[in-house]
Amino acid sequence: MRRILLLRGAELMVFAFLATIPLLVVNPYALGLLTLLAIYGILLIGLDVTVGYLGQVNLAHVAFLGLGAYTAGLVVTKLGLGMGPALLAAMAVGLLLGGLLALPALRLEGPQFALATLSFAALSTTALNELESLTGGAQGLSLSRPPVFGHALTPPLFFWLCLALLALVWVVMRNLLASQWGRAFEALRDSPIATDAMGVGTYQHKVAAFALGSSLGGLAGGLYAFNFQYLQPQSFTYDLMIILLLGVVLGGRKSLWGAFVGATVIVLLPNLLSNRLLFQVFSGLGFAMALAAGLRGLVKKTTRPFQALAPVVAMGLLVVGGLFVENTEDWRKAIFALMLFSVVVGLPEGLMGFLSIFLAKLFRVPHAPLPEPSDIEAILPPRSADGAPLLVIEDLKRYFGGVKAVDGLSMIIRSGAIHGLIGPNGSGKSTVVNVISGLYTPSAGRILLRGSALPSGSLFRVSKSGVARTFQNLQLFGELTALENVMVALKGVYRSPLPLVLLGLARREESQAQADALCLLDRIGLKDQALTKAKDLTYGAQRFLEVARALARKPDLLILDEPAAGLAHPDVVQLIEIIKRVHKRGISILLIEHHMDVVSELCDTVTVLDGGKVIAEGKPEEVKRHPKVVEAYLGQPPQSDLPGDPSPQPA
Amino acid sequence: MNASIIGQMAVSGALMGLVYALIAYGFQLTFATSKSINFGQGELVMVSAFFSLTLLNLGVPYWAMIPGGLLFGALMGLVVERAGVRLALEQKSEGWILLTIIIGLFFFSAAENLWGRDDRPFPTPISADPIHVLGVDVTRLELAVAIGVLAIMGAIELFKRRTLLGKAFEAVSADRDAAELMGISATRTVMLSYGLSGAVAALAGILVSPITTVGPTMASALILKAFSVAVVAGLDSGFGVVLIGMFLGALESLASFYLGSGWREAPGLILLILALAVRPTGVFGKAVIRKV
Repeated sequence: MRRILLLRGAELMVFAFLATIPLLVVNPYALGLLTLLAIYGILLIGLDVTVGYLGQVNLAHVAFLGLGAYTAGLVVTKLGLGMGPALLAAMAVGLLLGGLLALPALRLEGPQFALATLSFAALSTTALNELESLTGGAQGLSLSRPPVFGHALTPPLFFWLCLALLALVWVVMRNLLASQWGRAFEALRDSPIATDAMGVGTYQHKVAAFALGSSLGGLAGGLYAFNFQYLQPQSFTYDLMIILLLGVVLGGRKSLWGAFVGATVIVLLPNLLSNRLLFQVFSGLGFAMALAAGLRGLVKKTTRPFQALAPVVAMGLLVVGGLFVENTEDWRKAIFALMLFSVVVGLPEGLMGFLSIFLAKLFRVPHAPLPEPSDIEAILPPRSADGAPLLVIEDLKRYFGGVKAVDGLSMIIRSGAIHGLIGPNGSGKSTVVNVISGLYTPSAGRILLRGSALPSGSLFRVSKSGVARTFQNLQLFGELTALENVMVALKGVYRSPLPLVLLGLARREESQAQADALCLLDRIGLKDQALTKAKDLTYGAQRFLEVARALARKPDLLILDEPAAGLAHPDVVQLIEIIKRVHKRGISILLIEHHMDVVSELCDTVTVLDGGKVIAEGKPEEVKRHPKVVEAYLGQPPQSDLPGDPSPQPA
Repeated sequence: MNASIIGQMAVSGALMGLVYALIAYGFQLTFATSKSINFGQGELVMVSAFFSLTLLNLGVPYWAMIPGGLLFGALMGLVVERAGVRLALEQKSEGWILLTIIIGLFFFSAAENLWGRDDRPFPTPISADPIHVLGVDVTRLELAVAIGVLAIMGAIELFKRRTLLGKAFEAVSADRDAAELMGISATRTVMLSYGLSGAVAALAGILVSPITTVGPTMASALILKAFSVAVVAGLDSGFGVVLIGMFLGALESLASFYLGSGWREAPGLILLILALAVRPTGVFGKAVIRKV
């Protein structure tokens, strides 16, 4: 309660304060800055979706600002429609083009994504310049602010409109980003493979995030057009893009407040640069901050020397430059560069990332309370283990070029069984798991789940059909908490359509999801660390979390890919306990493992692979003594190494 | 349309395309060792060209200026590596994208203020007189660009294959961890690749400046096309960039003829987005098998 009061109170206070300013101060210049602040606020919240939540460097946002501005301008000047339709059209253009650009950019990560967006931005500048008959080209496009309901929009009225839209965007985005959608965006950033394997779907979420962010860019563009009432293609170039990135990064990623702080900085920057005294004061402050933070980091050994020193050098350059340079305005790009550099290196969480921890301590803002865990009977109702064939693999083959990783594998996993799959390194175990779970498409053969064909070549669709897996090389969503890791994967809880989520009417299923996820965390002994980020958990806990996350899929078949790899002995004991508990719920398990004691203790049936083929199958004790298995693991007996050697056979 | 004019445009476009190929090759060098590229490479081309011009103005003869310019480019490449790339690589993050953009911006602003915002001619002893080859006119300047590009690419490829240091380079490209275990310093190899990449950028600047003139914005169009070439060819494709570079050069030369010069950049940009959509590893790139 105290938390909600404090957080919502702060938001209300800031918005109320901003809204009353035009009543108190009659200063057209200040009002212009405030209007711009609201517009940039919307713009940066949109950019934060891709840069913060998706974690991609998006260089196209400025293009959506420009396209939105021109769309709104053209709707008013050429079609003669009012402001409402113009703003809607600007948003629609952002949504559509953003979605379109996201489609090819879908498979791209990091540098390629940045390049694709950069090209798009350059292309749209070219188009705005060259389509002269429509946009007026380099001559620019003039428009006037159309009246709303017969009233001419005076500057204060227009400011209130922008502020109201910012507040609306703020609330809607807060609802969205705190829901399963926001979690999915972040999951996507940390591990696209696991996002698909947990049935969340990288595809629709990446497109949605990008389209959504771009539509906010379009909306901001529409407001921009009505604010300046004159548009030029040169306004929407790479330079502005860098400033926008500066805003998001400096303000703090993944934070609405961060976007707001960033927008404030952007709006104030030109004033900062034109006044020498102000500039010297601020660069001096920045230098002092960098120095203090750097020294603290060095003494406490929390940062690398470079991380501590580089911002000091950059801010030092700024201070020295401020003394010698005649006109700071000429050096504005270099000043942006030095500031941005210091922030990216020295304060990667941004001002809000830093301040929010500080403020939370100062006002003692408590964590949101967690609900009571659900009952396990409700989440994983016990199933009958009838021993009927659950997963049937027939003559499965997977070749990589000339390498026959899996070469004609047939096996049957029965319902209710713990089926072991073992084999020496390179025997094809991991490939089998990757083919079943849909990461690889099989070269030949069939896989049937309960008699019907399992989708092939799609992690997402396999996951949807009831097979869940863990990863040998951990694929947790590192920046999400343990609880959120499980919540992302939860099946059958999130039913509300997007509009309800945006309006904040999906809170009930959110607390349901929390309760369910807590119950699963309780099963693996991590309930007390529910709010710890996955990357900060111990190695053993991370392995267990993988299991809990896969369980959240409520699977028919659970594939555990070397769950004991690298675990210390006490953790192995706990792992065995966890797997036994899962098995008691009637979930069938395919266990890939190297630890023979784990396999012997848990498995009913063991299949042994070597060279991509089955060499033995049976109960663990039988398999262990099977001559071919012994040979695969320990090599051939010495006599057969030397053909022709008349060594006597043991009597 | 006269076939000879088309041929003429295609040939001079293709020769310009070799410059794109050379800059794209600079991307490949760093991508091979560190899976990172310098987003501010265009600014590196530009500041190196300005520096070389300053050398010429100080009375340094043309042929002595070239090694000076290359050395400066290599130094700037090392600066980018130290300030923008190393930390991000150590943290295994993609922070280098933003950091190299930022460093490029800084170079840009510095050049604007140190050398001025105007475009300046870049003198060269090679004449711009056309010579007639197989029905098309080619200037000696364009031929010099082609020879310079192919010569430095050939030299670096030879270096990678024939010298011990070059083999270390290849080893780190193939498998960074394994190379480290064999006693090769990956950090030094990444530094080497950024130094080479900077030198390559400087040469591109020296070669292209007599044609385009020197100015702070000289590389902004150039770099977009170099990105296109690198991505369409594949960031690990070796000589694929030469083919794609020449193709793109010819294509844009024809596009600017038919659609108007404002659309010059469009084919490259569209090609880039299409290539990323259809084949993210490039036409000549190797498909990667995802492992988990």
